[in-house]
Amino acid sequence: MSTLPATRWERLVYRVRYFLLDREHLGRDILVLFALAGWALALPHYGSEFVVSMALTCLMYIALSTSWALFCGTTRYLSLATAAFFGIGAYTGALFLEDWGWLAVIVAGAGVAALVALVMGSLVLHLRGTYFAVLTFGMTELIRHAVSYWEKQVTGTVGRVLVVVPERDTVYLTMLALAVAAVAVSIVVRRTRFGLGLMGIGADEQRAQTLGVNTRVAKTGGFALTAAFAGAVGAAMSVRWTYIDPATVFNPFIGFQTVLIALIGGAATLWGPLIAAIVFSLLAESLRLQAPQLYLMTLGLLLILSVLFLPGGLASLRWDTLRQWRDDVTDWWRERRDPKKRSKKKAAAT
Amino acid sequence: MNGHPQLEARGVTVRFGGLTAVDQVDAAFAAGELVGIIGPNGAGKTTFFNALSGVQQPTSGDLFAHGRCLTGAQPHKFAAQGIARTFQTPRVFGGLSVAANIDFGLQFAGLHRKSSWLLKDEDSILHLIGLSDLARLPAAAITPSQQRLLEIGMALATRPQLLLLDEVAAGLTEAEIDSMAQLIRRLRDELDLTVIWIEHAVTTLLRYVERVIVLHQGRKIADGTPAEVVRNAEVIEAYLGDEMMAEPV
Repeated sequence: MSTLPATRWERLVYRVRYFLLDREHLGRDILVLFALAGWALALPHYGSEFVVSMALTCLMYIALSTSWALFCGTTRYLSLATAAFFGIGAYTGALFLEDWGWLAVIVAGAGVAALVALVMGSLVLHLRGTYFAVLTFGMTELIRHAVSYWEKQVTGTVGRVLVVVPERDTVYLTMLALAVAAVAVSIVVRRTRFGLGLMGIGADEQRAQTLGVNTRVAKTGGFALTAAFAGAVGAAMSVRWTYIDPATVFNPFIGFQTVLIALIGGAATLWGPLIAAIVFSLLAESLRLQAPQLYLMTLGLLLILSVLFLPGGLASLRWDTLRQWRDDVTDWWRERRDPKKRSKKKAAAT
Repeated sequence: MNGHPQLEARGVTVRFGGLTAVDQVDAAFAAGELVGIIGPNGAGKTTFFNALSGVQQPTSGDLFAHGRCLTGAQPHKFAAQGIARTFQTPRVFGGLSVAANIDFGLQFAGLHRKSSWLLKDEDSILHLIGLSDLARLPAAAITPSQQRLLEIGMALATRPQLLLLDEVAAGLTEAEIDSMAQLIRRLRDELDLTVIWIEHAVTTLLRYVERVIVLHQGRKIADGTPAEVVRNAEVIEAYLGDEMMAEPV
């Protein structure tokens, strides 16, 4: 038998080839990312305080939902634990802020969240579907109550006031860097073997296993990566709030909103979560003050509509989709007015 | 290789609650063998396959590849040891192109394994299974019989030494079954693969394999050449019955 050893070189060629497989889109993705980042970079120089604060929320949700979709969108493991990692990051940041440098604080937030995710992931990642979702949510609550208990019993406080906080622009730039990193990591991961493995897990986990994917390692690694981003975002955001307590930073709403944004935008796509994050931050800031209930109702309504009519999310919206909707509506209207007419048309179509 | 069989099952038992799907099955497969597994519905053929490929952990018993114990290992370890399988209903990645489906195996289990020139890359594997013309189509868009071929191609992309085929000829026409059998023979001869082939259509299978294992109610009741097996009284009683009487091989 003539054999060809799978040499290191051959493997490298394969990886490079895979990475460049979608060269056209790679260029497009990087360009879009640069353009958006540049625009956001300039914002603090001319935007008002309100605009910058809105942009900060926007960047926060871009980082959270893009990194969430990176793991949960591709593998279809619906994690509700974002709030846990966010809160862990925020608390880690608050503990080290006075002694450590700003960058070290962010890294520590990411690191501790990733460690917790490794433990949590090894416990629950063998479950699927609803069980996984419910357990991640349960663990988030467990962590929240554990931190509350520790605050009351051990340190005798309710929350923490952060005294030494960096400037507004530092926080803004950090959040921008995290958002850019989340998108950049997504661009890279989607084109690597790791991303291919995650996709295989999402499509058919057992098949992927029999083709050689170490699913346990891939899942735990991906989960930890997502958590690291949420932790870093939490650490950066805590200084913006200057006062944190478990109810604020472990607020399950942060987790839900991240998931909703990713789903409405299109969890399987790269740009979907980003598009939806921008839409929602604008909606949130404009509606929340005047009519908070209206904001939540809009969120719920949009989720229902997107699940029913746009299962691929906002990013899957094309002109053809709109045209299809228009035709469906006209058909429906015609049928209501004259049922015979439609049946004739339908017969012609088939 | 080192005197050990390529794959060996010792006393493999799989229980689901009160049901014993596979009951104390011993079997050894030497390099280059073409073995068929037959048995009536519910005999435990697929469950036995699941145990052999690591998809289902046996309740008791052990599995060895080249004498190395694989009991309790995850399926990717089996793939890394050169054990590849197909599924009864094709489980291709529908959203990916045919070529990308092949590439998946090459990227994972196939990446670190030595390969024959015939399994060098996507193109050569597509050529081998005869799907070169469909390379760019999404795997969901090709016909079920082409998906069966693609399943085999995906398994080959892991650059295996042993191929487990689960009813690859089910639902195919007579001519398609024949070309499938030709392909399987070719894989064995040119790639030195060991092939274990489950098929429900007994007469078809017996025509092509050199050795048959018969499962009945989870137990192995016969193991030998097709000619020996069809004369085995227990086999005739348990399974073959009228079908074999009407159409002797």
